[in-house]
Amino acid sequence: MFDQLRAALRYTLLEIARNRLAAGLLIIFVPLWYYLLGALIGNAPVAFKYGLSNRFLQVDGHNLTLITTGLNTVTLIMAFLFFASTRGSAAFDQRLVRSGYRQATLMLAKASALIVASAVIATYALGVMMVAWRPRGLFLIWLSFFLAGLIYGALGLLLGALLRSELAGFFIIIMVSLFDTLFQNPLDNPAANQDALKALPSYAPTQVGVAGGFTSLFPGRELLLSLAWFAVLIALGLAIFWLRTRSWNASARRSAARVAPVAPAA
Amino acid sequence: MTSPLLRATSISKSYGRRRVLDQVELELYPGTLVGIVGENGAGKSTLLRILAGDLRPDSGAVQITGALGYCPQAVVLNEALTVDQHLDYFRAAYQAPDLQVASGLIERLGYTKYRRTPASALSGGIRQKLNLTISLMHDPTVLLLDEPYQGFDWETYLRFWELAADLRQRGRATLVISHLLFDQERFDTIYHLANGRLQVTKSASHAAAPAHV
Repeated sequence: MFDQLRAALRYTLLEIARNRLAAGLLIIFVPLWYYLLGALIGNAPVAFKYGLSNRFLQVDGHNLTLITTGLNTVTLIMAFLFFASTRGSAAFDQRLVRSGYRQATLMLAKASALIVASAVIATYALGVMMVAWRPRGLFLIWLSFFLAGLIYGALGLLLGALLRSELAGFFIIIMVSLFDTLFQNPLDNPAANQDALKALPSYAPTQVGVAGGFTSLFPGRELLLSLAWFAVLIALGLAIFWLRTRSWNASARRSAARVAPVAPAA
Repeated sequence: MTSPLLRATSISKSYGRRRVLDQVELELYPGTLVGIVGENGAGKSTLLRILAGDLRPDSGAVQITGALGYCPQAVVLNEALTVDQHLDYFRAAYQAPDLQVASGLIERLGYTKYRRTPASALSGGIRQKLNLTISLMHDPTVLLLDEPYQGFDWETYLRFWELAADLRQRGRATLVISHLLFDQERFDTIYHLANGRLQVTKSASHAAAPAHV
């Protein structure tokens, strides 16, 4: 069991690390997106409806945009990574299961790889952001990127297990990530601050980031809401993964192998 | 008489209204090499996928004694991983203690120098060899091969038959399916799959005799 988990975690992470599209996005897209949006939006204050205290905060528009831009890049890259990895390795994962891999071990490895990748990418995105702005609640902003990465990585995994078309997956990811994260920023969306936005997946991580950037409050409820989004999406994704990779007579074969593990000689 | 290592009973499978397999019966005995031929679309791969556990039949059962090796027709590899990483991953899957068998196979199939090369950079022939190595590296008692020598060069084709003869000698049961079976004399039994049923075209009278290579 431990040997299987070690191998699955190692090779899932290795596969993700060798994803050239994601590496390119990290190196070029993240700094460029920060730079472009940062240059476009000035420091004029903007009213942001902060859910925890249910009141409006006057926040620096430029810095708020840095947070939503960071969220946008982290969510896109994490969703791409796990969509590509899950979709691309569907037949391979089934072969592993047929060869004796426990599905639960593979699932645990995928979820763990998702957590590790999200932590690394959130750290990178925060590091790049700090060239332009060093906020007081650094940890909460990191946590906001990390949680958004978890949610979107799980969404990518779900789409990868569900969809056969690569184009459809990429299209859904780009549209959902872009609109979801931009809608949260009142500068990009005059209708932001409305309660309906609370139903979107990046609502809670955005609130966590704003708490870190502009307040001294601890956003416990938003942390839990973010984790709930992650839990639901990863559970759905792994359930479909389980259905797709199961081997119908594997358990019968395992018990047969236990009964007679040695082949009769010729 | 020895009991079979694989026994498939009353396997039926339909796709929509089309009945691809109709009450198929198949037994594979120790030390035999069995072939199944059939037209494209006759249901050969469907039967093999059912035997391997990838696909659930509409009815029927498959019993396998010991470990199963399955080499799918389409090469199933992870493009990001090297040959050695594939072997380590599948060693964990099979819960095998070491890579002794795998290393021997790589040497025999002549692709030792590619061990550190990622699958994405391997040629079609080497990918096919790795595909075969993965299905054999745990020394299975029952081996199912779907069009195994597609993409092999002549040298590798001959090596493949050496391997098959070796497995037969050591009491393993091997099933090869193909739309064309060359070298029919190497097989103990050959079935023809047509209209959802298996018909014997070459008998199994010398099932346990040593192979002629």
